[in-house]
Amino acid sequence: MNIPPARPALRGALDALPLFIPALPFAFVFGVVVAEAGIPQWLGWSSSPIIFGGAIQVTLFTLIGEGASVAAAVSAALIVGARHMLYSVTLAPHFQNQPIWFRWVGAYVLIDQVFVLSQIKPIDEPNAFRRYFLAAGFTFWTLWMICTALGVVLGPVIPTDWGVEFAAPVLFVSLMMAASNRRDKLAAAAMAMGLTYFLAALPNRTGILVAVIVSVCIMLIANREESA
Amino acid sequence: MIALAIILTGIGSYAMRAFFIFALARYTFPPTLLRALEYVAPTVMAALVISMLTTPEGELAAGFPELLGLISTAIAARTTGNHILALVAGMSAFWFTGWLM
Repeated sequence: MNIPPARPALRGALDALPLFIPALPFAFVFGVVVAEAGIPQWLGWSSSPIIFGGAIQVTLFTLIGEGASVAAAVSAALIVGARHMLYSVTLAPHFQNQPIWFRWVGAYVLIDQVFVLSQIKPIDEPNAFRRYFLAAGFTFWTLWMICTALGVVLGPVIPTDWGVEFAAPVLFVSLMMAASNRRDKLAAAAMAMGLTYFLAALPNRTGILVAVIVSVCIMLIANREESA
Repeated sequence: MIALAIILTGIGSYAMRAFFIFALARYTFPPTLLRALEYVAPTVMAALVISMLTTPEGELAAGFPELLGLISTAIAARTTGNHILALVAGMSAFWFTGWLM
């Protein structure tokens, strides 16, 4: 049993803030994609509360802008977002001793950054977990609503090439290191990197999903042999 | 048509996030599965990093500055445990190496 933070809601909000840094320029890239697809600003922005997932929103509007059919654009966007199913499985044990409303609301803010925060700081106590998760999720949500609104308005008129796109992989390396608190987890991460590179040409970034599932299975087999 | 696409994608992405939370709400997770799930966070982060550094055609879109930036990030993250410091270390190494080259 781990010790929950003293003020889980405040902790969650504060932990979410630095993770938003790379999302800020991305919100402006999103604004440019909406403009280039010829979509009205309010309609483009409405995808932020309705979808709430940057990569999914950008994929959807990029394809619509290229003239893809609704079915093709929606399915490609959902394939990009398929990794969220892994988050749903991984967090399911933490959602068991929780009120039903939290399952509905919590699933809505289950994004990459909120998922990884909940894994870096595992909280077993249900009340503390719920407060931490919701505070982190809705801090990110609020910032994403504000920044994508600014992005659709300002993105097309100001230069978006800030030279800070590299902040995204940098942050995710930092998160990867924080999530790899054991040597075997670091080995799994290294394996996933190699596999993703090997599978990088698969359509709609499906390599991510395959690389994760394969490396998790390999680690499981390796662990079993060790303990046998 | 665009509104329809947004709504369908919204329903789909919500369903993907909610599905197992509801489907496994009363499921007793075997210890082997719980152990396997511990690897999801590090491997997803690793896979996302590589996917950001490769083109959709599978070409590596990173050179020496990127490599040095990411190594600096990993070292700073491991030694300080602070994401902002790791971000500063990684970006400085990346910009400085890019400027030298």
